[in-house]
Formats: sequence, C-alpha cells, structure tokens
Amino acid sequence: MNTYCIELDGITVRKARGLLLDGISLRVAHNEFVGIIGPNGAGKTTLLNVIAGFEKFEGTLSLFGRRESQMRSRKTKLRVGYVPQLFQIDPAFPILASEAVMTGAIGRLGLFRSPGTQEREKAMRLMEMMRVAHLADRPLGQLSGGERQKVSLARAILQEPDILLMDEPTANLDIAVQKEVLNLIDEIQSRETLTILFVTHDFNMLPSSMRRAVLLKRGKKVFDGDINTALSGDTLSGLFQYQLETFERNGRRFVSYG
Amino acid sequence: MAEHLIDALTYVPIQRAAIACLLCGTSCALLSVFVVLMKMPLIGVSMSHAAFAGAVVGLLFDFNPFVSGFILCLLVAGVLGPLSDRADMAPENVLGILFSFLMGVAFLGMGILTRTKASALNLMWGSLLSLSGSDIMVLTLITSVLVLFVLLFFKEIRAVMFNRRLAAASGVPERMIYYALLFLTGAVVSSNLSTVGGLLIFALLVQPGATALQLTYNLKHFFLISAVSGIGACVSGLVVSYIFDLPSGASVVLMATTIFAAACAFSPKRRSVKTQGKEHVS
Repeated sequence: MNTYCIELDGITVRKARGLLLDGISLRVAHNEFVGIIGPNGAGKTTLLNVIAGFEKFEGTLSLFGRRESQMRSRKTKLRVGYVPQLFQIDPAFPILASEAVMTGAIGRLGLFRSPGTQEREKAMRLMEMMRVAHLADRPLGQLSGGERQKVSLARAILQEPDILLMDEPTANLDIAVQKEVLNLIDEIQSRETLTILFVTHDFNMLPSSMRRAVLLKRGKKVFDGDINTALSGDTLSGLFQYQLETFERNGRRFVSYG
Repeated sequence: MAEHLIDALTYVPIQRAAIACLLCGTSCALLSVFVVLMKMPLIGVSMSHAAFAGAVVGLLFDFNPFVSGFILCLLVAGVLGPLSDRADMAPENVLGILFSFLMGVAFLGMGILTRTKASALNLMWGSLLSLSGSDIMVLTLITSVLVLFVLLFFKEIRAVMFNRRLAAASGVPERMIYYALLFLTGAVVSSNLSTVGGLLIFALLVQPGATALQLTYNLKHFFLISAVSGIGACVSGLVVSYIFDLPSGASVVLMATTIFAAACAFSPKRRSVKTQGKEHVS
C-alpha cells in the first residue's frame, strides 16, 4: 500500500482564545508508532482530537487515503480507536469491568444485534492480555486507576481499529503502574497490526517500541524524527526554553529535569 | 380498610388514577435512570418547567396544554442538546438561565390568565383523581415508546451512559440516543402534567434512579428497581392520599423520598464500601 495511514496538511484549529494548531502537516505510515510530545498548551490533545473527529479544523486530513472532515461515517469511526486519559467514574456506577470492555464492540455490532460468544471470548482474551481478566466481574468504579486504564486499552482493541489514538494514557498513575501500562502498550504494538499515535508530555515515560517523535510547541510542529534525536539536550532546551540535559542508558535517551 | 380500598376501585376516576400511577411511575422511573447516571438532574428540572410554561401558554390561548407543553419541551431539547455540547459554555449556567426564563414565562402566563387559575394550578400540582380517558391514552402511548426504546437500544444506551465521547468515537450512534432521550423526557414530562404536575414531577425524575443506585451494579436490575420504586411511590402515595384525604401529588413525592431513604439505610453498596475501607486500613 503506497498511501499513508494518516496524512495531515496545513491543519489549523482556531478558537476565540487563539490558534490551538497552526498549519500542522504530518504523514504517518501504516503500523508506525509515533509519539506526539510537547509542553502543556502545545496542541497535542487538539491534534489527536482532530484525527479522532472531536474537533473542527481547517486544512486537509486524510485517513487511509480518504479525505475526512469532522463528521465521519460509522465505518471510518470503527477503524479509529481511542484511549483517553484516566477519567472519573462514580464508584456506584452500574457497569462491570467486562461490560466496559464490551462497549468497544457495540459500534461494530450495529443496532439490534447483541454481542455473541465470539465477542465475549475476544473480550476475555484481551482482558487476559491486559492482566485484568480476574477483575472481569468487579464494578469498574471500584478498580484502581491503573486497572481502569488497562480496561480502557482492552476496550479500544476490542473495537478492532487500524489506528489507535492514546491521549496521555498513563497520566495520573503512579510510576510502577505507568511502566506496567507502557509495557502492555509495547505488547499491543508487537501483537496487533496497528498505527499508534501516543500523546505525552513526559519524555522519560515512553513505550520502548516508539521510534518516532513529533515535538509540538504552541500549535506548531518543531521537530519530526527519530526519538533519540528528539531527546537531545539542544532540541528539548529549545522546546521548553529551560536548560535540560539528557543521558543514555540501555540504548535509550532519558531527560534529566534537574 | 382493605375492603374500603377495593370498593374505591369500582369508581372510574379511581381506576384511572391507579392506571396513571403505574404509567407515570414507570415512565418517570425509566427516565430517572438516565437523569441519575448521566448526571443531568438540571435537564429534568428544565424540561419539567418547559412543559409547565408551555401548558400555561396553551391555556392562555385556548390551546391543548399537553400539546403546547410538549412543543416547548421539544424546543428546549433542541436548544439544550447543542448548547451542552459546546465547550465554551458551562451547561450548568445555560440550564440555570433557561430554567429561570421558563419559570418567568409560566408565572407571567398565570398572571395574565384572566379565567380561573384552578386549571393552571392543576398543571403545577397535578390531579390524579380528575384524569380523562385521553390523558390515560397519551400516557400509555408515551410509556410504551419509552419502554420500547430502552429494550431495543439497551447496549447502545449502556455505552452512551458510560461515556458519551467514547461511544461517539467508536461508532455508536450517540447523538441519536442522546436526542431521542431529550425528546422522550419532553414527552414524558408534558404527559405527566395532569398526573403529578410540573413541579412535583422532578422528584420522580430523580428518586427512583437514585434509589436503584444504592442497590445494584447490574444495569438491567437498575432499570427494574427504578421502575418498581417509581410505581411503588405513585401507588402508595395515592393510597395514602385517599385514606388520609391529602393532596395526591405531595403524598407521591413524600413516599418517593421515604423509599429512597430506606434504600440508603439498607444499601449493600454502602456497606461494602465501608468494609472495603476498613480492610484497606488494616
């Protein structure tokens, strides 16, 4: 296939308070794993929202070689999965972890069809892969933040998307749990055929299978290339306007915030 | 006493009131599941006041109050939906303004109304004992549509209630479900102006769902418990009002509150949260 999976050309998002995205162009090949990284207010989430169909925009956006606007067909929506930041849920809310995973299959099933054994087995398999199978019958609101994010990942993959958009999926989790979720994301990348866009502001908490980074600053793309080049002291100091040093360990670069 | 009640059931107005209790309890209780789980109690308040204001305007112009109430509900639903989707306006403020505006329209209408104000007051408090055959027909129709909606779209409803944004992104017809819900709220509220009235209906749009929230994690049971508690409040309210000769709408609301308080007292969820907390500490 010679077309790109995601193609953005001059994407601009305008709000009363100013430009959130300013002429972003980006090409992402099939099965690529790209990090969208930048400080707060850089437009990372807005960029993800444009691709997910949550945001109006100017410019051209193509998914799977077809031009798309904010309004999408169900078919296109099914091919784009979304994992949000950890969100609040009432502990008393009547939904079990397995039922929350199953909501990922509902769009694909369509109206008037109930999930069958096939969907249930797949949901259970994904919950096993995400190490939350033992929590299947627990109310979702009673799970920890990390467990809920793993449920969220299983839910997104059950949708069988071709693109997976992740908006800071490890934010607000403690460090050990962040690492565990990142490892699971690596596992997803190795097992499924997926193009992944991963939004984060934390340079030291990246999935190891992510090789390409796009750095954003105030709505503009300031870097696009290999992750280790992105994590050079000079690039980052320019981005944050704050002197940052980086060092290498086990073949990966890390940032010292000191 | 029981004989006395059974005797009363031979009278047509009492029969109608009993049927209306079942229908009103069911329809309001099913809606209350959405109101409680989607955290939109203000939408319930605004809709009930829209129905009330519309009905008063209807009386003013010699128009069927149910129809005019319903039309204003639809208008409010049409305004509310898109406004609450806009990120630059806090929905609480929009609802607060809308709600007070509708209240203003209703009271203005009542002030201008030169004829007897009894009919307008009836719309406010409801009057279970003076329902017409067509009131019952409309209630039956709307309750059936609502029940059918819940049965047919149960899995979509679950996905939308869990998270509207995620549902929309994953190909669930979220807008269709959400707007259908707003329109059904309008229809239920305006058709119940004659039973419990535009002011007291709000209790029935929250209490049954809040009761179910105390008792179950299973969404199917949630709808059932909610319906049973809604019907229970309506029927027991009617019986109490008949025996002690009290206003029926007020009795229904007070019974609803009593049921909710009982559910809180016996809630297994609260108990499990408490014990879990203790386990956590130890």
